[in-house]
Formats: sequence, structure tokens, C-alpha cells
Amino acid sequence: MCGQSSALLFELMSEMFALIDGNSFYCSCERAFEPKLRGVPLVVLSNNDGCAIARTDEAKDLGVKMGDPWHIISKRPEMKAVQWRSSNYSLYGDMSRRVYELLLDAVPFVEPYSIDEMFMDYRGMPYDLTEYSAKIRETVLRVAKIPTCVGIGPTKTIAKLANKLAKKNRSGPGVLNLADPAHRASAYKDIALGEVWGMGRASVLKLEKSGVRTVADFVAMPSDHVRDLLTVVGLRTHAELRGTSCISLTGLSAAKKSLAVTRSFGKAVTTWTEMREAVASYATRAGEKLRQHGLQASAMQVFMHTNRFNGDAPYSGGLTVEIEPTANSFALIAAALRAARSVWRDGYRYQKAGVVLVDLYRASELPAQMFPTRDPAKSAKLMQAMDAINAREGRGSIRPAHVPVQASWAGRQRNVSPRYTTRVEEIMCARA
Amino acid sequence: MADYKGGETTGFQSPAQDHIEEVVDLAALLDLRKPGMYPVRVVGQNLKERGIDHNDILIADATADPEAGRVCVAMFGGEVILATLKRKNGEWFLLPSKGEPVPVTADVDVWAIIRALVRIDV
Ligand SMILES: [Mg+2]
Repeated sequence: MCGQSSALLFELMSEMFALIDGNSFYCSCERAFEPKLRGVPLVVLSNNDGCAIARTDEAKDLGVKMGDPWHIISKRPEMKAVQWRSSNYSLYGDMSRRVYELLLDAVPFVEPYSIDEMFMDYRGMPYDLTEYSAKIRETVLRVAKIPTCVGIGPTKTIAKLANKLAKKNRSGPGVLNLADPAHRASAYKDIALGEVWGMGRASVLKLEKSGVRTVADFVAMPSDHVRDLLTVVGLRTHAELRGTSCISLTGLSAAKKSLAVTRSFGKAVTTWTEMREAVASYATRAGEKLRQHGLQASAMQVFMHTNRFNGDAPYSGGLTVEIEPTANSFALIAAALRAARSVWRDGYRYQKAGVVLVDLYRASELPAQMFPTRDPAKSAKLMQAMDAINAREGRGSIRPAHVPVQASWAGRQRNVSPRYTTRVEEIMCARA
Repeated sequence: MADYKGGETTGFQSPAQDHIEEVVDLAALLDLRKPGMYPVRVVGQNLKERGIDHNDILIADATADPEAGRVCVAMFGGEVILATLKRKNGEWFLLPSKGEPVPVTADVDVWAIIRALVRIDV
């Protein structure tokens, strides 16, 4: 009886969410191990050292914007003091794992929404949520070395909004609790609709046309009116902002429906030889990821396109093909190259290509194949051996023959920091 | 892939079959998978008296509270150093291996406390 009534109580407990978000996450990871970077403007650049993808407050204040091409803006005189780093995703991934595990010590469920944002289940917490969040922030800073902000609310959308407001208030406490409806109502008056999670530009423009500018204006609209004007997504956002939870926490395995390896090229790809290498590399990486998750793919999409913005002759092509369910890199490469060959057109300057695996299954869920053309057990062993060697010796140590060692299209990373936490030869040094 | 782990044999059945264990896991012993654990490489010989030598790998724990006499990783003046923690009149100090004690103020970051040491090629 007792168990039953407490289960019922749990059902009745109202939803409560927190969103914790790392401040300038990539920059904070770099600063954790390199004290010289603290207090100075710092920018982390995208894959090929192309554009700014993370900026510290100091860099924002100097006018560095997200997506700014670094080779252009770094020439400005005021950028002299700005430190920059190539992106070091091995480091960022491990630091994200540390944050996630710390949060799991504090709350029963954590949804890693992105590398630097996690939703926490705050339902039924017997604490003052604001104080508890402050403690979590303090621990994450001390242990995982990442400064964060926390937003709290009865729906994910409100928690996300609260987080954004907490972050904007740089000298503030880093926590904003919008659980209280009265508090929410007064905060909504000053927030533009574009700030809301899930609110697309088209919806904002439509709403503005009918005089709806702030979040307060929006929640005051009758639901019927919202349904007429926007899509169901808009209606859901409306309900969430009013405090009715519609988006629940998602587990990782449920979320994994496709797996993509896509990259912009360091310099435009113009020959089939280069494209073939690139696609083979992506298929290889996709295979590794697939096996890490214990999954197999039964369909694949390959695409490539030119730069849409620089005046190059435009071309964009893609093809989805079905494949015999597999996690074998060689099978994936073969299928990817066949697809790529038929998408490829001579004479274009390609800027980006990608391999997306869809229709993913756990290997155990797959129906027995009638006429498997490969020996699945043998293939699994070979892949296991390849992954083990690459894990030990570094990615790409052994690779299918199609994949080049140093590809011309891969672009350079000229200022990448050590993988302080995952490579023994690159760990942080301390002077005795 | 070395598949034989001492258990499955082709001729005579191995008496060890049901008793096969994994090799000692040093990462587990050192708690390396915990979110607050960081490996650190020692540069310099000034902590030799403490048994800490150049090129040793130290395991630093960022969850540990400071304790007098412990060696810590500290960051200040843009540098990463190893220093011994000292407490005097209720205040914390860093004793670097060379030079004056440094009071732990806001611009001194006691980054993590050293828990263990790994030395290859003894
Ligand atoms: Mg962030």
C-alpha cells in the first residue's frame, strides 16, 4: 500500500526542470587547463580554423560575433589582444562527460541536450531550488572547472528561457528560478519573442505582424488564435510558456535515430579523388560511432554541395540508399561511394559533404537475415579489432585503404590545445 | 585479437574456466573515471624530497578538500605549479618547492589535490 501511494504521489508531483548551460563552454574548457587564458579575450574556431564558434565575454565585448570568419576579423587592430584556439573536441567531449556525471550525483535524471547544455529533473526536490542550483553550479565549477548558469521552470521552455536570462545578467547570481507564475508574468513583459526556445523566425514575424512582440503578449493570446496562426510546434511552445509541460525529458537511446558525419572542407574539393577520400573517411567514422552505440544501419544518405554564399556555381545533391543492415566500415564505405558517385557532378567547387546513417537498430533487434551476403560474426570481429587498435594507437592508425592519412581537403588546425584528459602524452604539466 | 584468456581450450578442459578474471585495472584503482580526477605530469625535480620526481604522473582530485601537508596543483600568475598546502592562523598558504609561501587569495586557484603517483620505468 505504502509503495503504491508513494508511486501515486510521484505521478502527482508537478514537473520541474532545470537547464544548466556552460558559459562559453569551449573557451571554459581551454581556460580550465591554461591559466594564461583567464581574464583575456578568447575565441575558439570551427573545424578548419574558419570562424568563431565560442567567445568569452571579453571577446564578445570586443565585437567578435558567432560565425565571424577569423582570417578577416583577426586583422582588425582591436583584435590584437584576442587569444584563439582551434577546436579540440576530444577535450570538450570529456569535460562534458564530467559535467554530466557530477549532475547525476545531484539529481535523479539528466538529459544531455547538447555538449554544453543539460536538462535536470527537479521534480519533487525537497530543497530550495535556487539554493540547490547555486550549489550545483559551485560544484561543477570546482570539480569540472566549467562556469555555468542555471534556469529553473515548470517546463523545459521556461527553464531554457530562465537560463538565457540568467546568462545575460553577467554580474548576477547565475541562477534564475521562474517557477513562480507571478515572477514569470513580470519577467515575460521584457522578453522579445525571438529569445524563446523553438520559436522560429517565421513565427516571430507572423506574430509581430499581429502586434505580438513580447512573451507576455504571446501567452496572453488565446490558444485557438495561436493554433490558427502558427503550427502545432507554436501551440506547444505557447502551452509550455504558460506553464503546462508538453516536452518531457528524453533518454539517450531513445533519441538516437540517425547518425551523421558531415564536414565543411578546409578548401573547396574539385576532384572526384578528393571527394572519394572524404566520403570514405566519413563513412569510416560513421561506422565507428555506430559500433560504439551497438547499432546497425539499414539506410544511408550521402550529400554534397557547393558554397551557397560565395558566388560559386551552385550545386547541391543527395541520395538515400537502403543497405543490408550493417555496422561494417567496409560495407558502409562501399555503399557511400556508390551513392556519392551518382551524386557527384564534375566542374563544381564542393564546400561540404556528409554521410548520414538512418534507420538504426540495435544489432539484437534485427530480424535474422534470409541471405546475408556477409558473415556477420566474422565482420563484427574484424571491426572490433580495428576499433581496439584505433582506440589504443589513436584514431586512423589503421583504416580502410580509401581513407587518406593527411587529406588535402581536411584543412588545418593550427592552434589546437593538448587533449589534457584523454591522452597520456598530452596531459597537463605542472612545475615542481 | 588474443581470444585465449586462460579459460577456453581446444583439448583438455581448463580447470580455470570458471575462474577467469580481468587484469588488474589501474584506472579503477586510481579512480580515474571519476569526474574530478585529472592526470598531471611533473616537470622539475624540486619535490624529490617528497618522493615526487620529474616526469612522474600525478593523479589530482578536484573534489578533495584542502588539507595541510598535502601537495596540490595550483594556478596563479598564469602558471600551473605543484605546491604543499600549509595552514597558519586560520589562513591557507602554498609552499612552492622554491621561494616564499604564497597566501591563498582570490587570484590563487587551488585546482586539485594530489592523491596518487604513477611512475613508469622505475
Ligand atoms: Mg553554452
